[in-house]
Amino acid sequence: MNKRWFGILSPVVLWLCFFMMVPMIAVVGVSFLSRDTVGNLVWTFNISNYTRFFDPLYLGIYWDTIWLSVLTTLLCLLLSYPLAYYITTAGPRTQKWMLIGVTVPFWINFLIRTYAWVLILRTQGLVNMGLEQLGMISEPMQLLYTKGAVLLGMVYTFIPYMVLPIYVSLEQMDKRQLEAASDLGASRWSAFWRVTLPQTKSGIMTGGVLVFVTTTGMFVITDILGGAKSQMLSNIIQNQFLSARDWPFGAALSVIFMISSLIIIWLFNRALRSKYESAKEARA
Amino acid sequence: MKSNTLNRKNPLLSIHSFLMMAFIYIPVIVIIVYSFNDSRLSMSWEGFTFDWYLSLLDNRNVMEALKNSLIIALTSTIVSTVLGTMAAIAMRKLMSKSKGAIAGLLYMPIVVPDIIMGLSLLVLFSQLGLDLGKTTVIIAHITFSISYVYVIVSSRMANMGNQLEEAASDLGATQWETFRYVVLPSIWPGVIAGALIAFTLSIDDFLISFFVAGPNSSTLPIYIYSSVKRGISPEINALCTIMILVSVALIILAQWLLNRGNREEKKTSMLPF
Amino acid sequence: MNKKKWFAVVLTGLFALTLLAGCGNSGKETLNLYSWVDNFDEDMIKKFEEENNVKVNYTNFANNEELLAKLKAGGADYDLIQPSDYMVASMIKQDLLEPLDLNNIPNFQYVTDRFKNPEYDPDNKYSIIYTSGVTGIAYNKKYVTEEPKHWEDLWNAKYKGKVLLLDDNREVIGMSLKKAGKSNSSTNDEEISAAVDDLRNLVPNVLAFDTDSIKQKMIAEEGWIAMMWSGDAAFTQAENPDIEFVVPEEGSTIWSDNYAIPKGAKNKALAEKFINFMLDPQNSAKNYESIGYSNPVTEAKQYQSEEYNNNHMINLTDDELGRTEWLLDVGDKIQMYDRFWSELKSGR
Repeated sequence: MNKRWFGILSPVVLWLCFFMMVPMIAVVGVSFLSRDTVGNLVWTFNISNYTRFFDPLYLGIYWDTIWLSVLTTLLCLLLSYPLAYYITTAGPRTQKWMLIGVTVPFWINFLIRTYAWVLILRTQGLVNMGLEQLGMISEPMQLLYTKGAVLLGMVYTFIPYMVLPIYVSLEQMDKRQLEAASDLGASRWSAFWRVTLPQTKSGIMTGGVLVFVTTTGMFVITDILGGAKSQMLSNIIQNQFLSARDWPFGAALSVIFMISSLIIIWLFNRALRSKYESAKEARA
Repeated sequence: MKSNTLNRKNPLLSIHSFLMMAFIYIPVIVIIVYSFNDSRLSMSWEGFTFDWYLSLLDNRNVMEALKNSLIIALTSTIVSTVLGTMAAIAMRKLMSKSKGAIAGLLYMPIVVPDIIMGLSLLVLFSQLGLDLGKTTVIIAHITFSISYVYVIVSSRMANMGNQLEEAASDLGATQWETFRYVVLPSIWPGVIAGALIAFTLSIDDFLISFFVAGPNSSTLPIYIYSSVKRGISPEINALCTIMILVSVALIILAQWLLNRGNREEKKTSMLPF
Repeated sequence: MNKKKWFAVVLTGLFALTLLAGCGNSGKETLNLYSWVDNFDEDMIKKFEEENNVKVNYTNFANNEELLAKLKAGGADYDLIQPSDYMVASMIKQDLLEPLDLNNIPNFQYVTDRFKNPEYDPDNKYSIIYTSGVTGIAYNKKYVTEEPKHWEDLWNAKYKGKVLLLDDNREVIGMSLKKAGKSNSSTNDEEISAAVDDLRNLVPNVLAFDTDSIKQKMIAEEGWIAMMWSGDAAFTQAENPDIEFVVPEEGSTIWSDNYAIPKGAKNKALAEKFINFMLDPQNSAKNYESIGYSNPVTEAKQYQSEEYNNNHMINLTDDELGRTEWLLDVGDKIQMYDRFWSELKSGR
């Protein structure tokens, strides 16, 4: 039986081995090399590129990156779950339209969308002008180039990554269980907590992983909406390949970054699986 | 068939969803409004003009980039959706020690920083002697999209039992029939969601495309990112407006075709499309 | 049935697009030009195409570092690229450029002497200047009432939260070095640390670091005073007449964008023809006036409009140019610059 599944998997596995694994092995190799003054690789083995990471500066930047990603993921989840829920409760026609409605704006170029936020948030932007018209403020507020603006941009950008997976899992939910729960007199909230939420765990986890991992790699938003006043780990990685011309250090940072992300995903998956397994046992 | 429990709508929920849709669409409205702005650097409102739409048609760099982006996004979405779905289906059934390793491989493109992916693929392509062009960009986009499709389709299947499939094969359905009439319909929303994400990622990717694109395959994001230095012109806003309108029109068209098909078959579609 | 139909629609669309993509690939000789966006007047490119019966394939990069990384990793066959001064130097060191044959570019004689034989490429073996500019202070007269004359003015507490800096480690640390009377390409550890310490006091004043859209921030009056390139300042002033530009007295950084041919270019002769075409005084007058950058061809003055010739941000005085310095390669010290830069920006 397994043979067949291996057969179906083989095109994907071969594809990824060739276009992902081979280059990544090279990256790991480069991370143990050193560089000369112009930035060319020098073939001497050393691990100093890894030890350099354990420097309060880089560790601090890494911490900031993780913190911002956690915050983005949580906010995205809190805002997207009710929306996804609302979409599933709509009639089939409205459902389709809302799903498309959520995605289409994100086909507009990311940079253009982010600059639109600049127009909205800047001192003479829509928000400040609106509030001034209403007489709620006398001086324009500095909304742009703040941590809040970065968070807003991040959450905005990743909404569909959260809405879609949650919708996908909500949509397949066994609605009879919910009915049973309410027939048994469970309040709407407790029905939600005990029945709906556990069943959509896989969607939440998938959305969480997608948003979390993608935000850790995102720095254009911090540059544009945050005025480039903070650094993300991916800024540092990119700088090593571009301005600092230190490919080995950049490669080492990337390896650390990838491994830590994979560990996070693994933890997410484990949490998901244990829940799923226990749910299965409960059903049995 | 469907219970009414979920349809008892909470007014708070409706308000929240309305506000969320407004949040999603505010920047879109700003973009559309500024596409009619008579100012090159689009910083303040200088009056209404239709000029950007006209000059857009003359801008061969933009039109070329748009064409390339669409070809790349459509092709890579189709291929990666098929491959990613296959992977998700097979991974669910696979019982093997190597499963963990394969799962790691499937997650890899999500966790690789863009610059690493772009540069390392560029090195690989140039070692292979491949000419950089649309093909290399499509290969790169398929590589990262597969993972996203896989992850989303897998999450759809996480709560799926085997009962239906077993029942189908008990009733004598062939493997293909089981797949076509049982498995595929039940995972279809996941497949569509995966395809939507794959398309969104491809049409928006800059850094990876930048490295693996050749002189004939500049994409829209590459053009837009390079434009920032001179100031992005409202032409791009005009283009985004057109893109939104065209995609909505295409979706309506597809919807209409589907509905016609449905009426003939007297069957309600359970698909988002 | 319905799914099939849907796929059919998609596939037909795809097929049509592929057909479209196939068009336009005529058998003409092609010049693969790789440069900054909108760096040439479209009409001049068309004129070149018509005169020589060739096709110019013009694609864009966003910064020097991405250009270098791409060429180094074995990137595509480009015939003509436009790296900046320091990048020309690095590319020469890494053997990425093809020597130019100046015999094929007779119009090189029209380039003003100041920009011949630059420090980063003595004897113009590999590069010819395309345009240049100087880093200075742009300020809005409405808010900055006294003309700033020194870099020190950016530190003025009056401008707290209204200062814009370039998002570039060499430019900003170089500026601080200049302020202290040192070379902007210092490789002396103490000088660099002192300059960075000085910058730590400037950071609280900073609204944002930005290289690409700093113009918009000044035009919209989000920032009052900024470290800006002269060419960008000219753009900003055209949109907001309150903006002025000065080159500080202790001097500053000069930069240039250049023509260069990457190693192994397939169409070197055509690339040289293109350079020659663009250096022709009449052609150059039209080209530079349309893009609004400074023209290194002095002969072109007679063909340019009064307005362009009188713009002091495009045509800098000899005095202003005299107190500028190129950014030179700092070798291994770039890592020090990079680290200090991360410290400054992350506030650690």
